[in-house]
Amino acid sequence: MAKEQIAAPKTQEGFTTWLKDNLPVVIVSVFSLALLIAVYIKGGPPQIFNILVTGGMWSLLATGLALVFGVMNIPHFAHGESFMVGAFVGYFVFNPLNQILFENPNPLLKVTAPILAILAAGAVGAVLGVIIERIIFAPLRHRTKQGWVMNAFLLTVGISFVLTNGTTLVLGPNFRGIPRFYDVDAVELAGAFIAVDRIMATAIALVTIALLWFFLRQTRTGRAIRAVSQDETGAQLVGINLDFIHTLTFSLATATAAISGASLLFMFQAYPTVGVTPLYFSWYVVMLVGLGNIAGAIVGGFIVALLQSSTQLFIGLSWQSVVPTVVMILVLVMAPSGLFGSEVKGVQEQ
Amino acid sequence: MLELKDLNSGYDFLQVLWDVSLKVDDGEFVALIGPNGAGKSTTLRTIAGIVQAKSGEVIFDGKPITGEPAHLVSRMGISYVSEALNLFTDMSVRENLLLGAYAVKEREVQLETLEYIFELFPRLEERRDQLTGTMSGGERKMTAIARGMMSNPTLMLVDEPSLGLQPNLTYDVFDALLKLRDQGVTILLVEQNVNATLDITDRAYILEQGRIVMEGPSKEVKADDHVRNAYLGI
Repeated sequence: MAKEQIAAPKTQEGFTTWLKDNLPVVIVSVFSLALLIAVYIKGGPPQIFNILVTGGMWSLLATGLALVFGVMNIPHFAHGESFMVGAFVGYFVFNPLNQILFENPNPLLKVTAPILAILAAGAVGAVLGVIIERIIFAPLRHRTKQGWVMNAFLLTVGISFVLTNGTTLVLGPNFRGIPRFYDVDAVELAGAFIAVDRIMATAIALVTIALLWFFLRQTRTGRAIRAVSQDETGAQLVGINLDFIHTLTFSLATATAAISGASLLFMFQAYPTVGVTPLYFSWYVVMLVGLGNIAGAIVGGFIVALLQSSTQLFIGLSWQSVVPTVVMILVLVMAPSGLFGSEVKGVQEQ
Repeated sequence: MLELKDLNSGYDFLQVLWDVSLKVDDGEFVALIGPNGAGKSTTLRTIAGIVQAKSGEVIFDGKPITGEPAHLVSRMGISYVSEALNLFTDMSVRENLLLGAYAVKEREVQLETLEYIFELFPRLEERRDQLTGTMSGGERKMTAIARGMMSNPTLMLVDEPSLGLQPNLTYDVFDALLKLRDQGVTILLVEQNVNATLDITDRAYILEQGRIVMEGPSKEVKADDHVRNAYLGI
């Protein structure tokens, strides 16, 4: 009987409670939709596609950050360097392949070369993630959990320094770019011409996010990753090996960042400090939506991209980092745990 | 089945258990009773591998398991239902239970066990899609016990299942434990509700200030003067 009463409330009352419960989501959706319409009217389809490209990239990077923070409690400030490594691997794999193509054209290789380069970046990223986790974070975690968040943060900053300067030492500070992955004409989409590379980069970001989401939601190991982020002791009690899950999580985050680094090689060239911008923007995203919130990070990536591109359109290109930052500060002043909030395990007590 | 030999254990510089020895046989339902701070939970945590023993031995099925990490102990067939429950609060009952069978790799076996558990706890089947963080205390405790059973353990360590529950729910939880015992699962139960515990268990150990001070069949323990005075208030 009680159930029926809940199921059929007075419509008005029900709507008010629903609105109250979902207020942040409603405000954000209404605001984003309005902005999106404004951008479409002023900029047309190319601008919308721009939002998809950058949004997909921020989402992918922010998902990695959210994962590492939610599961391992690490504020990851070397995430941009994973992007940088991906960009370099993409460059060094694609360029020789392109050279071969130039000497003897081969339609199959022409289609697969960029994909090979991006997959190679993902693989190198995954291995790099395992190495970093095994030799840096695992020993610290086994020694002590005291002051973990601060120590882990400082370690990631250190890793970032080492990787950036190490790359400069070995490869020099030069910019290595490729004009495009696909040497074909732009595709006409809703009256606008869009480069195939952009379409590919968006598709890769969306597919990777979808795969990651499916993995976390539907598979045994993915469920174990979420279990560790919610209760470490509980996870151990059901037989989950924490070391394995931590290494896997870090490796996944590094691999996805490397994939986005490689797939955006035509936009960002490969150079030692290329990771700085992606790092900051993906941090905007996770701070805006709430640390450790993966679903939020995906949505947040597109919100930040929307903010950037509308700023660029209505205020000016040079303001495109300023406005998202201001919005983020305002959101944090009003909702300190971010737009969608999330309880993050362990941060309070540590 | 389970044997502790001169176990010394505790946290950092604080030693809690002093030469604790106890034994649980196949199919037995054994109680571990004692006042607050006596070390009952520490005993269970040490067996489960969450707290590391300082010295002494934990023997399970004839093999020493002292110092094994918690996830391996769990995979050997020891299931620990902790006092804090350690449920995954942002997941549904179903997902919590499936995680209980994490060590079981075959999906069909997992689902079979799930069906069986739902038969045993119909209440949980009604709530299968509810997030455990939004459930009542009694339901959460049921979920934790059910999750502990999902790995088909041979030994269950149950820590204060009646803590914070109203009396009629306490009996529900005890009924669930008796059902388990009837399935042939060996149980080591830590409880504050001494009277009811001594009624349902086969044998009991009394732990005071980190030492075992008495052991015997539950009926005899219940008739003992010291126990009647200190725990039953008669």
